Amino acid sequence: MSRFEIYSPEGLRVDGRRWNELRSFNCSINTHPNAADGSSYLEQGNNKIITLVTGPQEPASRSQVNTKQASLSVTINLTKFAKMERSKSSHKNERRTLEWQTSLVRTFEKNLMLHLYPRTSIDVQVHVLQLDGGILGAMLNGITLALIDAGIAMYDFVSGVSVGLYDTTPLLDLNSLEENAMSSVTIGTVGKSEKLSLLLVEDKVPLDRLESVMAIGIAGTHRIRDLMDKELRKHGKTRVENLTN
Amino acid sequence: METSMRVLSHVDGSAVVSNNGTKVICSVSGPMEPKSRQELPTQLALEIIVKPAEGVQSTREKLMEDQIRSVLTPVLARYLHPRQFVQICFQVLEAGESKDYTVKEVSVGINAAVLALVDAGVPLLSMCTGTCIGITSEERRLIVNPTEPELLECASVHVFCLELGTDENEKIDVRNVLLVDSLGTFDESQLFQVLETGEKECIRLYTELRSVIKDKVSRDFVWKQ
Amino acid sequence: MAKDIEISNSESKFILEALKLKQRLDGRACDQFRDVEIELGEAYGDVTVTMGKTKVQCRISCEVAQPYEDRPFEGLFHITTETTPMAGAQFENGNNTGEEEVLISRMIEKAVRRSGALDVEGLCIIAGSKCWSLRADVHFLDCDGGLIDASCIAVMTALLHFKKPDVTVLGEKVTVHPVDEREPVSLGVLHVPVCVTFSFFNPDDTEENIKGEHNGEISIIDASLKEELLRDGVLTVTLNKNREVVQVSKAGGLPMDALSLIDCCHKAYGIVEKITDQIQRAIKQDSIARNQYAHILSSENARES
Repeated sequence: MSRFEIYSPEGLRVDGRRWNELRSFNCSINTHPNAADGSSYLEQGNNKIITLVTGPQEPASRSQVNTKQASLSVTINLTKFAKMERSKSSHKNERRTLEWQTSLVRTFEKNLMLHLYPRTSIDVQVHVLQLDGGILGAMLNGITLALIDAGIAMYDFVSGVSVGLYDTTPLLDLNSLEENAMSSVTIGTVGKSEKLSLLLVEDKVPLDRLESVMAIGIAGTHRIRDLMDKELRKHGKTRVENLTN
Repeated sequence: METSMRVLSHVDGSAVVSNNGTKVICSVSGPMEPKSRQELPTQLALEIIVKPAEGVQSTREKLMEDQIRSVLTPVLARYLHPRQFVQICFQVLEAGESKDYTVKEVSVGINAAVLALVDAGVPLLSMCTGTCIGITSEERRLIVNPTEPELLECASVHVFCLELGTDENEKIDVRNVLLVDSLGTFDESQLFQVLETGEKECIRLYTELRSVIKDKVSRDFVWKQ
Repeated sequence: MAKDIEISNSESKFILEALKLKQRLDGRACDQFRDVEIELGEAYGDVTVTMGKTKVQCRISCEVAQPYEDRPFEGLFHITTETTPMAGAQFENGNNTGEEEVLISRMIEKAVRRSGALDVEGLCIIAGSKCWSLRADVHFLDCDGGLIDASCIAVMTALLHFKKPDVTVLGEKVTVHPVDEREPVSLGVLHVPVCVTFSFFNPDDTEENIKGEHNGEISIIDASLKEELLRDGVLTVTLNKNREVVQVSKAGGLPMDALSLIDCCHKAYGIVEKITDQIQRAIKQDSIARNQYAHILSSENARES
């Protein structure tokens, strides 16, 4: 099959991680303060994502006005240079992109206090600068950060990660090489709970292994939540310091 | 011809008609509010959609839509519903003919549409029925409602559609020819033959459809007795 | 969607209150799948599936085409799902970019095509130059919820039922034998995925759902249209009889406890087993009916076996 050994007998993966290790996770918020109400930049391994949130604002057209709650929209811009090979299409109207957008909207609809902002719209733009596996999970994290930066009321963090199943070993946070070689599961968890907001299994997984895969995924999302929390607190601290100085 | 009415639950009227290997389901929704670009100020607007059994809509289906529209438009009492709109959808379940022909699907579709319109309670001025007739290339024999292998033997095929009604004396009266569409080679005398046979067949279908409707009405209004 | 169907406040309240008492409008239990009726048509690969008031027709057709350059050994297989206002006023004609439509078509695509339910290599005639191009047209005739589940059953049954014309290859020359000349051949179906959809309702408030330990969410199987319009979350599980999860999709919606989701998957397996058996039975009955004269025509001696 491939030239790479996906999981060596010593328990090492292509990029030298163990089975339960995340990729390097760096994030920052308020990266584009003049472009949007909330913004974040996120690196999850080689995934690089900019997320911009505008709103709550007046809806662009009359038909979008919902008198009970804010209407949420997500647009994904998968740039042409995001992958190793430059793609010709803009991916804009691809079914996969449309599906992602709907999934993200439906995930955040239940985790934002949209009823606090009736007659408004909240628009999220996700720009994927670089793509390297587990993108949907990374987008969840990016959007959560940007929404927090925008100051939109949320119940809790939503954090996402993908988990693969290689033979019988679950592997946490797949990169694209691994993603192509095995079946993967994307998990989106709410806060530190075991409640799943998003669960996507895209390839064959034995029914009886599903539980162990989900368990490691949930642990991974909790870890990511902590990393995001740490960054947010750090950011908050510097802001307060800037104010007092 | 096998028919059944009110087969679908989320539209106002529906009917399935199958005849010699061709099966079409038709649904009617409306009269309802149109989008502004569809609205006609003095009359009922019609939208006709034909979906093929296999593959996606092409010019072939557009042609069928157009033929069916030209047949149904004069039959509907359109002045009764100005600024309103009726949507008629056809889904071909079994084509019973190759992609080169549309005759069977159109004729069966028209009969299904009449039943579905009656089921939906859209007012009609009169009834219409459609049939298709083929003329074999060898014996010059007329075949009413040819099957698929018979269709291939035909030098020409014709769709024929009449507007029919019943006068005060319960006599069937033929009001108009709504559609004659011919494909292939034929001469004048053959066309007249087709018209003659077609009329008989259309009248036969008319009585058949009427009895189907009568049955349905008597079943639907059983509580009235 | 052209026009969203709206449910009145009193009706939605009635349905939700009834669900809290584990009662559904059609009298089903919460974990009861509607009875599936599979109707096989005259032609090969013509299947109509009825589940309650939901009705879906699937038709398979094939033609000879050229394979993709990067996959010379594989035939082509496409599934098209087109909606018309026939299924209900919420569907617009020719608009396949609506949220609901995209989710349905992606789901069927993932369940059937991406899971490798069909052996596409078996569609190859001459590597790199000729192959069968197979298409499954799914027609939604009537929609009363559960379109994904019904379509998946319809497509899989149609694939099992369909037979493609036999071909002979002599060098570069391909002869396609008409069906009446030579017995057509079945497709290679590797496994039968079946979708089961769960709908979730939240009887308590949102905070209880997210922060609480109570896990009081209601889950029901195979929602009807009204229940679909009112639900807070949805989970579609696709499994096959080999206890393999082919696809799971919970695209947002009400956050649910991980264990209860796993529980759903196990519940789904029971239903999948039943439906797979029903599909196999329908196919078998059809082939017996078609071959009722075979033993008369056969020149083989009857053998005890």
